[in-house]
Amino acid sequence: MASTQVTVHGKPKTAPRKSKKPINFGDIVSYAILTIAAILVMMPLMWMFSTSLRPTQESFHLPPAWLPTKFRWENYLAPFESSVPFVELFINSMRITVAVTFGQLVTCSLAGYAFARLRFPGRDLLFLLLLASLMVPGQVTIIPIFLLMRDLGLIDNPLAIILPGLISAFGVFLMRQFFKQMPQELFDAARVDGAGHIRSFLQIALPLAGPAMATLGIITFNATWNAYFLPLIFLNSWHKMTLPQGIALLTGYMGSGNPSVVMAAVTMAILPVLMVFIAAQRWIIEALTRSGLKG
Amino acid sequence: MRACFLNLIERLRMQNTGLLPEMTPKRREAFVGYLFILPTYIGFIIFILYPLIESMRISFQEFSLLRGSTYIGLENYAQMFADARLRIAYINTIVFTIFAVFFNAGIGLILAVMLNRRLPILMRNLYRSIFFFPVLIAHTYIAVIWRFLYQYDTGVINFYLGVVGIDPIPWLSNAHWAMAAIIILDVWKNTGFAMLVFLAGLQSIPNEYYEAAQLDGANERQLFFRITIPLLSPTIFFILVIFMIGALQVFDTIIVLTAGGPGDATRSVVLYIYEIAFRTFNMGYAAAVSMTLFAIILVLTALQFWISRRWVHYE
Repeated sequence: MASTQVTVHGKPKTAPRKSKKPINFGDIVSYAILTIAAILVMMPLMWMFSTSLRPTQESFHLPPAWLPTKFRWENYLAPFESSVPFVELFINSMRITVAVTFGQLVTCSLAGYAFARLRFPGRDLLFLLLLASLMVPGQVTIIPIFLLMRDLGLIDNPLAIILPGLISAFGVFLMRQFFKQMPQELFDAARVDGAGHIRSFLQIALPLAGPAMATLGIITFNATWNAYFLPLIFLNSWHKMTLPQGIALLTGYMGSGNPSVVMAAVTMAILPVLMVFIAAQRWIIEALTRSGLKG
Repeated sequence: MRACFLNLIERLRMQNTGLLPEMTPKRREAFVGYLFILPTYIGFIIFILYPLIESMRISFQEFSLLRGSTYIGLENYAQMFADARLRIAYINTIVFTIFAVFFNAGIGLILAVMLNRRLPILMRNLYRSIFFFPVLIAHTYIAVIWRFLYQYDTGVINFYLGVVGIDPIPWLSNAHWAMAAIIILDVWKNTGFAMLVFLAGLQSIPNEYYEAAQLDGANERQLFFRITIPLLSPTIFFILVIFMIGALQVFDTIIVLTAGGPGDATRSVVLYIYEIAFRTFNMGYAAAVSMTLFAIILVLTALQFWISRRWVHYE
């Protein structure tokens, strides 16, 4: 399985099979199916984008124009001028996402390092217990967490979402796997030079953990940016809500919202995800594949 | 900042102020270990372990935000057997899970197998990115987009069905079609993840196996069923478990797309829990229902692992 990490992106180590045969019927069929599937995947997003640029009265024209016919960039201003405080929603989402991502990077790298490279009584049991918590669905713990937040006076406060988000069993697992792969010699050498455990972590392990940190950061960023369940429960005033909540409300009851404006808002909400995806596609795909294959 | 922190530790150590007391190396290592896992474990205890136990406790209570709670034994659990809406929610969730897992894994596998054929690297990466991108978009946004596409007379989907001579489908107002609409949306969004994991699994199968089998005269179909499938079985198994656990918790898509309707036709267990807990504040009953979901997920995970030991082929 080790080779997958290298081959998931870029050139596979081994040549694709049957490379010496001429193009056959099967190749043409799979090309065709892949192309049709790719078009089907793209169409809703194309519709989203072209609708976002169209005058409202044209947004229901059928057949729809898949490519933008007009470029009414004013539509992109409409969410800011609507009754929905779009800028605030964006800032709220960003604040929660950044806090959670940063917090998880700190807690997960510390715990991951301890579980991977330090010896202490009960270590493996504590790690197993933490891993087992991955099987606990969020809906099971939400009621006591809600009551706890209510007692702390944190309802309608972003902290109600940030605090539970600061730790992640998955993140600890990911970081532990990464720190475990580092060669022991590195740490032995540091020990000889008189470095303690904290110094070894900060000056040797952490600077080398860039790829794992990037991976965890991206996964957490995306998951928090997209979260809907927790904000729906904890945040209920317009000025505290997150972007997914706001857009769901902007769509209106039974989709009565103005399609052009809603699609402009959705396009803007997806933009950070798209940018992260383009910039860090390699990390994302590698990380998800790796977490998948190693379970 | 880091240098400053290190400096401080160094100074503390030299002065031996008692913050980092003189310890044997072994004890020092253990001390640092516990220190490092402390933040995670504090969070784990407050936000996972305590709520889990508390949820069990609440499930034995008649819960009221105003009047306080009283223990009522197994009454909440007994109530579930008489709750027709819960039964419907479970049937809906199971139907959704079966179809969503089947199509997500099936289509993901087909796409991965095709991507693994001879394709220019550039094309493979392009297709892979396109198929994968919806995975990263929030369910909420996708449901918002698709709700417009699913509209009866203004929707794009019905228009194209009309072009090929199919009568318009009442996607969101008919009980069966609403479920289909949710499954289609889920497959559109998530099959890319299955594709990605399958593709990596396929690429880790050594070419030599295929070459040897081809020398023995194996045909395409035999290669697929005798080599690809057995060697891919750990990956298939993983995808089935992950998708099943995810599908059993379906919520975001449904609340935006149909809000559980028409009637109760697409109400999932999690949507039902959400409504009894946070709309009617019947938290004792909601906690009891959530326990059943938890039990099912635990059993499924255990069962899958048990089965996997019997038929999954590990290299």
